[in-house]
Amino acid sequence: MPETTNQVILRRRQVIDTFKQELIRRLNLPYLPEDLHEDVSMLGSGLGLDSLDSLEVVLCVETCFKIKIPDENISVLRSINTVADFVIEQQDRAGGRA
Amino acid sequence: MRTSPLKEKLAAAGAVFRERHGVEVAAHFGDPAAECVAVREAAALTDFSFARLFTLPETPGIDYLDALVAGNVPKIRFGRVLHTFLADQAGRLAADCFVANNDQEFVFACESILPDAELEALLASAGVESQAKDLSADHVVLSLDGFKSWEIVKQIFGADVVGLPYLSIENYAFAGEPIRFIRAGKTSEFGYLLVAPVKIAGALFDTLQAAVAERGGRLAGVDAHDALRLEGRFFNIFQEGRRVGDPLPLGLQWMIDFEKENYSGCQAIKQRRAAGLKQKVIGFSAEAGCPALKCGAKIFHEGQPVGELVADCVSQVLHRPLALGVMPLELAFSGLSFRVGAPDGAVIRSISMPPIMPKSLTVRLDEM
Repeated sequence: MPETTNQVILRRRQVIDTFKQELIRRLNLPYLPEDLHEDVSMLGSGLGLDSLDSLEVVLCVETCFKIKIPDENISVLRSINTVADFVIEQQDRAGGRA
Repeated sequence: MRTSPLKEKLAAAGAVFRERHGVEVAAHFGDPAAECVAVREAAALTDFSFARLFTLPETPGIDYLDALVAGNVPKIRFGRVLHTFLADQAGRLAADCFVANNDQEFVFACESILPDAELEALLASAGVESQAKDLSADHVVLSLDGFKSWEIVKQIFGADVVGLPYLSIENYAFAGEPIRFIRAGKTSEFGYLLVAPVKIAGALFDTLQAAVAERGGRLAGVDAHDALRLEGRFFNIFQEGRRVGDPLPLGLQWMIDFEKENYSGCQAIKQRRAAGLKQKVIGFSAEAGCPALKCGAKIFHEGQPVGELVADCVSQVLHRPLALGVMPLELAFSGLSFRVGAPDGAVIRSISMPPIMPKSLTVRLDEM
């Protein structure tokens, strides 16, 4: 059964909130979670994370969601929203949804 | 109206001009879609002389600029560039700025939505104008962007140039004249801004244009850059920036040092931050050919208007319309369906940005 709008929002908000808090903690970012727009670029412009930071992001996803980001899948790290897409897709696959 | 020193060359190449905030710009060269494709597949050369450009001595420039822009100027390391913004006293966006720490001087480049006189008044309010040397009249700014643009700068300026990190500045020479070279594109492909004195501008333009053409690229106008910025989710002050005005719903918090107390618009921005966000700008996509995905169109949810589109383009990578829309916080999530234009209008979907994977991210440094 397709998720309702409220279910989509609730699930996505949980993933994003968890990820943002861990990202801020691990990288010691000088922002509150609500300061981080989900579409801001994480690499280069925007948050300006370097290659070492991106390893922290990968570990962050593993810690929070028990999901590994494959080395070749750097495109997942474009923004917080693209990380959330990846996490939700992987959770769906693991749970047999979608 | 201010015009580019390169106007004759641009006109001869088929530029279609238009006015934008008191400056004449080359909008396109007949085929803006092909200009977008050139950036994604090869390279494109664009006249960015619409940008206002100043240099300031390191002292007292560092303090003047820090009192002006939202980012932290003293923290800019030598050879690096800060991407930040300039707001008016009400905390509304006035300019999208690069501040570069470049060997005894600071370079201050503004994409401004204020008329020149108003921008100068804002700079004067922080004491910048009296210390600044305005390069806008006797320099040009050329933007070289694209998947293969690194090959061109390597060919012209040498191999060192490809090692420059994103948001850095270096001085090079061309025809015996100094060029300030900034790695700072806003297309998500490799991008370089070249600031050159007018006396060599024509020769530099010709050299870059020939190198671009050799690689299958072309000249591009600002219309293509508007689309490329949206596709790559780079902030565009001329589109969503102008329409929304408040940096917080636009997600520009990363350009702000919230510990600073003294920049233009600081108090207003801090008050809005403390009050909490009410809206947020997010991405939308529609099926190819959707006629209603245009700036200003209302977004509907369950029959009620809830938001409005503030930027739009047709992606030449995805072959479908993209847009940005300002939405209430509780609905500002990707993966949702809405209607646009009317309660029973076309279906659009909120999406995660940026929706494309640029080719330039696939190039490894050891391949360059």
